[in-house]
Amino acid sequence: MSVTIMPEAGGAHATLRRNFWRGVWRVMKRKPSRLVGVVIMAGFAFMGIAGPLLYPAQLPRDTDALYAPPSWQHPFGTDFEGTDVVALVVTGSQYVLLTAVITAVITVVLGTGIGLFSGFKRGRWDTVLMRVTDMKLTIPGLPLLLVLSTVWKFSAAFEMGLVLGLLGWGGVARAVRAQTLSLRERGFIEAARGLGLSTTHIVGRELLPSMAPYIAMNALIAVTGAVYAQVGLFFLGVLPFEASNWGVMLNTAVFGGGALTTTAALPYLMAPLLAILLLTLGIVLVVDAMDEIFNPRLREE
Amino acid sequence: MYTTIDGFKPGLDVNGPFNPYHPKANAFRGYNSMWLGWSKNHLTDPNQFYPGIAASWDIAPDNSSITLHLQPNNKWSDGKPVTAEDVRFSIGLAYTQGSTAYSIDPSASGVASDIEVIDDKTIKVTQSAENPSVTFVRGVMETFIVPAHVWTGVLPADFWDKLKTARGDGPEAEAAGAEITGLAEKVLTFAPPKDVSAGPFVLQRVNPGEALLVKNKNFYNAANVAPDQVKFLNYTGNEQIWNYLVAGKLDNAPFTAVPADVMKRITQTPGNGVARGFSPVAVSMAFNQSKKPYDDVHVRRGLAHLINREEVTKIASPEGGVAAATTSGMHQRATEAWLGAEAGSLEPYKVDAAKAEEEFKAAGMKKADGKWALPDGKPWKVTINAPAPFSDWVSGAKAVTSQLNEAGVDAEVVTVADYPLYLEELAAGKYDLGFWLTALGPAPYNIYQRLYGPANGWELLAGKLKHHAPGKNGNWMGSPETIDVEGLGKVNPGELAVKLNSAPEAEQKAIIGQLAKAANQDLPVIQLWDYVNTQFINTSRFTGFPKDEHDSLRLTSGVWLQLGMIKKKQ
Repeated sequence: MSVTIMPEAGGAHATLRRNFWRGVWRVMKRKPSRLVGVVIMAGFAFMGIAGPLLYPAQLPRDTDALYAPPSWQHPFGTDFEGTDVVALVVTGSQYVLLTAVITAVITVVLGTGIGLFSGFKRGRWDTVLMRVTDMKLTIPGLPLLLVLSTVWKFSAAFEMGLVLGLLGWGGVARAVRAQTLSLRERGFIEAARGLGLSTTHIVGRELLPSMAPYIAMNALIAVTGAVYAQVGLFFLGVLPFEASNWGVMLNTAVFGGGALTTTAALPYLMAPLLAILLLTLGIVLVVDAMDEIFNPRLREE
Repeated sequence: MYTTIDGFKPGLDVNGPFNPYHPKANAFRGYNSMWLGWSKNHLTDPNQFYPGIAASWDIAPDNSSITLHLQPNNKWSDGKPVTAEDVRFSIGLAYTQGSTAYSIDPSASGVASDIEVIDDKTIKVTQSAENPSVTFVRGVMETFIVPAHVWTGVLPADFWDKLKTARGDGPEAEAAGAEITGLAEKVLTFAPPKDVSAGPFVLQRVNPGEALLVKNKNFYNAANVAPDQVKFLNYTGNEQIWNYLVAGKLDNAPFTAVPADVMKRITQTPGNGVARGFSPVAVSMAFNQSKKPYDDVHVRRGLAHLINREEVTKIASPEGGVAAATTSGMHQRATEAWLGAEAGSLEPYKVDAAKAEEEFKAAGMKKADGKWALPDGKPWKVTINAPAPFSDWVSGAKAVTSQLNEAGVDAEVVTVADYPLYLEELAAGKYDLGFWLTALGPAPYNIYQRLYGPANGWELLAGKLKHHAPGKNGNWMGSPETIDVEGLGKVNPGELAVKLNSAPEAEQKAIIGQLAKAANQDLPVIQLWDYVNTQFINTSRFTGFPKDEHDSLRLTSGVWLQLGMIKKKQ
C-alpha cells in the first residue's frame, strides 16, 4: 500500500506548496497595502545590504551648506557638518537593521526553544525555566541598558543585537509555552504519540509548524522593538557617537540643531524618523498578510 | 518681575536646602547667595572685584593679607545686621570644605592662616607665608557668607582652637584635622528652616517649574534694585532655554550654546538682544603622551596642521566661539594682553597638508594607499573622546575626524554618557585624545595649571613641586618633565607654571612668554576655539544691561541687579 501512497504523498506535497504560494498571492492581492509592505521590507533589506556600498567610505560634506534646506541634491537637507542626510540614513541603516535581525533571531530562537521545551516537558523543568523567565521579565530593559552602556560601548551591531535579544525572549517563551501546552493535548499530537513517533518528530514536524506563523510574527515584531530600543539609546546619548546612526541623528538634530525650536534642522530630524516609521509600517503590513496566510479562519473568500 | 535662569545648575529642586554648599541648593548666586566680592575676571589683574558683602578692601601689596570693610548698612532679610562675625563663621564653614583659600594644610598654595575680627564691620584675613599665591585674594573673596545666627551649632564652640591645633604637627594635629574635615558632611547637609539672605533677594517659594524670589528690603542697596520679584525658570537642557528665549520670556539668560538658526530666531523676538564679551575659557584637544604615537611632538604638530580650526568652530560653536589663533594655552585675548606683539611670533599651525606630511615623516609614520600608518606599519586610528551631553564638543570632534579622514588619517569620535564619567576616564588615562577645557583664567597661574599642572604630573605638595611619572597620581597627559624649546633651551614648564603663583607682575609676563612658547611648540594640546561669552538680554521690561565687552558680563545678572545697573523701563 505504501508503494502506491508514496508518490501520491509526494504529489500532494507539491500541490500543497503550489496552493500555498497561490494562497499567498491571493492574500497579497486582496489588500494591495500588503504588497506595499513587502516592497518596503525588500527596500530596507536592500538598503541594509547594499546601501553603504553606494556611497564612499567618507561621506562628502559641504561646509558652506550646514543644515541646508531640502533640495533636489539633498532631499532631506544636510546635517551639522553639511553631509547629505539621505546618505546618512542609508549608510546608517546597516547597523540598525543588522542589530534588529540579530535581536529577532536571538529572541525567537531562545524564546521558542525555552517555551517549547518547558511546555512539552512540563514538570520540574517547566517550573525552573518559567521561574527564570519570570525573573527575566521583571528586569526593566531600558534602565538595565543604560547601566550596561556605561561599561559596554556596543560598537558592533552584533553586541547590541545580542544584548537586546537576551533581554527580549521572555515574552516569546511564555507565549510559546502556553501554545505548546494547549497543542500537546490535541488529537493530532495524541495520534502521533500513539503511532510511536519520536519526540523530535512530534516537536519538529507537528508542533513547530502549527506555531510557525506565530513565531514568525513575533520575529518581525521583535525587529521593530529592537529598532526602537537601540535608536532610543543612541538618542539619549548614552551610546557612542556615529554620525550616520539614526538615534544619533535624532539626538544631534534636537540638541545640537534645535529642530524642536526652529525649522533649519527639521528635515534632519524627519529623515531618520520617517525611516523608522516606514520600516514599522512595512512590518505591520507584512504581519497582517502573514496572519491571514497562516490563519485559515481569517481567510475570507 | 525679572525672569531668568540659573546658569550654574539645570533643574530646580523643590527640596533643595538654603545652603550654598549643597549641590542642589536653592541658593542663586548674586540673588540670595552672596560672596564678599565679585571678580571682574580682568585679563591681567585677578585682584579686581565688584563689591558684594564687602564694600571695600585693602590688599597688602605682596598679597599677604586682605582687610575687608563690610557694607555698613547691610542687613539679613530677617533684620539682623551682617557683621564681621558672620564672615568669620562662614570662613570656618569653608575650612570644613577645604575650598581654595581655606585648606587646613598651612603649606598648601594660597591659604589663609589668620582671621582677625577688627571691629563689627571689619575683618582681616592673612595669607600663610609658607606658600603664598596670587590666587589668595580671589579665594577669600569667593567665600559664601551665611548668617551665623541661623547656622549656629553647625560648628563646635572650640572650632578655631581645633583649627589652630590642626595646623601644627603630630598626632594631635592629625586628630583635629580629621575632626574638621569630618564636619564637611554636616555642613553640606545642613538645612536652615528658611532662607535668610544678605543679598538683594530672598527666596519665597519653589515649585518644579519656577523659583520665586522677592526683594530683600534690608539689602544695603535695596533702593536701587529695580525688580520687586525675580523668577527662575526651570530647565533641564539647552533646548528649553532656546524656547524661553524665542518666547521672549527671559530678561537675561547666561551663556548658552545656540545653533545659528536658533540664534536667528531668538533675535527676531522683540526686545531680545545679545551682549558678547570675553570669557576666560578655551576648548582644546589634549593628548595622552603615554600612548603612541602621541609621545612624538611631530605627530602632534602634523595633526595640528591638518585641523582647520575655523571650519571646526563654524560647525561646532558658530555663535559662542572664535577659532583659536594658535595654541598658546591662553585665550587669544589674554595672550595679546600679556604678550603684545610677541604673540605674533607663535607658530599659527595653519592648515597645510605638505607640512603635516613632513611632520609625520619626521615621526617615522608611513603612508600606504593614501592612509597613514604607524612607524611599524600597523594601522593608526585617531580616537577622539568627548562627553555626549556637550553637543558643541561632539560636533567639533566630528568635524576634526572628518578633516583627518579626508587627509588620510583614520579617525573616529567616541562619546561617553556624561561629563563626570568622562573626566574620570580621562584622568584614568583611558583616552588617547580628549576634549579638555583650557585657558581657565583669569589668573595666569590657573591658566597654565590646565596644561602643566596636576593633569600633566606636576603637583604642589607641602610647598614643594613634585613631578609624577606618566600614568601615576592623575598624570594622564604625560608630557616629559623638561622640554626643549627653540630659543629658550631646556625648560621645565611645570616649574615655570608654579612660579606664576608668586611672581610679581613684570616677572609674570616673562614667564607667560616662555610658557606660551613651550605650549606652542610642544603642543600638549591643540587649542580649537576660544569661547565668547554670549549673553541674552531682553530690553522690553528692563534697561541698563551691560554692553558688549563689559566686565560684569562674566557675573550673574544678580550682581547687575544688586549693583543697581538694571533699571525698570519707563
